[in-house]
Amino acid sequence: MSVENTKRLSVADRLGLANYRNQGRTDARAHIEVDTDICNTTCPHKCTTRVCPAKCYTLDESGNVHFQFEDCIECGTCLYACDQGAVTWRFPHPEEGRGVNWSLG
Amino acid sequence: MEDKFDCIIVGGGIAGLSAAMTLARGNARFLLIERGEFCGAKNVSGGVLWGSDLARLVPEYWKEDAGFERFVSHRRLTFMDEQSAFSVDFKSNHFAETPYTGVTVLRAVFDAWFAGKVQEAIDQSEHPDESFIATDILVEEVVMEDGRVVGIRAGEETFLADCVIIAEGVNNLLTRQVGLEKPYVASDHVAVGVKEVLKLDQNVLEDRFQLSGRSGLTNEFVGACSEGVEGGGFLYTNQDSISLGLVLGMNDLRDKQKTPYDVLNTFKEHPVVADMIRGSETVEYSAHVVSTGDIKGMPAEIFGDGVMIAGEAAHLLLNAGKAIQGMDYAMRSGILAAETALEASKADDHSSSMLSNYRKALESSYVLQDMRSFQDAVHLLHREEMFSTIPNLVCDFGRQFFTIDSEPTMKASAMMRASIKRHASYWDLVKLGLKGAKAL
Repeated sequence: MSVENTKRLSVADRLGLANYRNQGRTDARAHIEVDTDICNTTCPHKCTTRVCPAKCYTLDESGNVHFQFEDCIECGTCLYACDQGAVTWRFPHPEEGRGVNWSLG
Repeated sequence: MEDKFDCIIVGGGIAGLSAAMTLARGNARFLLIERGEFCGAKNVSGGVLWGSDLARLVPEYWKEDAGFERFVSHRRLTFMDEQSAFSVDFKSNHFAETPYTGVTVLRAVFDAWFAGKVQEAIDQSEHPDESFIATDILVEEVVMEDGRVVGIRAGEETFLADCVIIAEGVNNLLTRQVGLEKPYVASDHVAVGVKEVLKLDQNVLEDRFQLSGRSGLTNEFVGACSEGVEGGGFLYTNQDSISLGLVLGMNDLRDKQKTPYDVLNTFKEHPVVADMIRGSETVEYSAHVVSTGDIKGMPAEIFGDGVMIAGEAAHLLLNAGKAIQGMDYAMRSGILAAETALEASKADDHSSSMLSNYRKALESSYVLQDMRSFQDAVHLLHREEMFSTIPNLVCDFGRQFFTIDSEPTMKASAMMRASIKRHASYWDLVKLGLKGAKAL
């Protein structure tokens, strides 16, 4: 799979190239849990919505943070970037979890 | 199988595999556990393995087609403004001599190859059936008894060992669990690395970058490539692809409210970069946290009773402007941790005082010597001027110097004065220059 570099690639274009484990599975066990109540009440910067390279953290129209782990490529950015204690970070479970499988790395 | 290993290694990246190779050669009984489907499946790097330790672990590795991508014989450092690029460029046939001093790698390929070499070493050791590389297993906990590490737990299973080498990478959860690192580590000394691997026809690649045989180019960039965010860009040539990416200071990225994927698009669109990647196709996009090389980012300690921390789990990395050295540090630290483990087995003593020899060995090796002596350079590189003022000034001067426009030409010194006036002050530059001279 490849994407021609004739336009600005979106995150979706880019993540479309990644192989995830348990790709078809809808009940994969989450390896990252985010207490978005913290994001949406006391966090002064909501920085994960920008620094996450896989855009797993998004803002809705009313400025609330949402998180999904399915696109996560296990880079660890939110493990360090969240200084509010909202992120519980583990490595994905090999059998039941999600997570990435690099072909090149 | 013995009911207890001499050593358990957590992580089949470069640090873990280097430790494993050393243990196999020392005829230890060990277990290496990797959570990926294969060694390398979870690993990302920019992609240059510097130094010559690989030749110690895999003698004459260059004779094989597999493993690394290209050896580095051409180096370039580029200062960028939005339209221009001013480079310091060095190419030498000396770098074509083996052992090479730098090779480009793609980790899912390289680590898998390296793991194969370790397995060969296990097969040739005195205990071929008592050492294992186990993949697809996640170590969830380091098991401790009375404050000393005695093994690991994966799911329901516990494996015991005289000592554990934690080589889990920069997302060092186990290092935190054993108390050698705080439970939460702030983003002050880490960056976000993002990268695309761009596929290009091999002949086109070799012509475009003037490569012959397996020679390769590394190009680092500072300035407009990062949209003013602390950090820089890189371009490394692989056999038939290019690794193109950015390392962006996490705090600065947060504070400037930029996103790494958009900055990467801007970098790719820079006219100078666009010329280099034209006609290529993106085949993989990856990202990973990377240490900045600030020694303050290291864990409180890198050894304890029955445990040692190797590689980027210990935040061993240096970027002093010349190269980003992380994988070679992983390699050396893995070797030194394993050598300490072998010594400890011989003495039947895996106490913290015995394993402190690992720290001593690392301190007297180039790893911690360089990290200590180049801290000023690390701090200098993180100053705002280094990714805005300086690249802009250099490119402005370059544009004047290389412009021939049928008008009376200024002397270079006058051009330089004019460029400085436009972008900085003499006094600031003198201060920066002095700092730079001292730091490097």
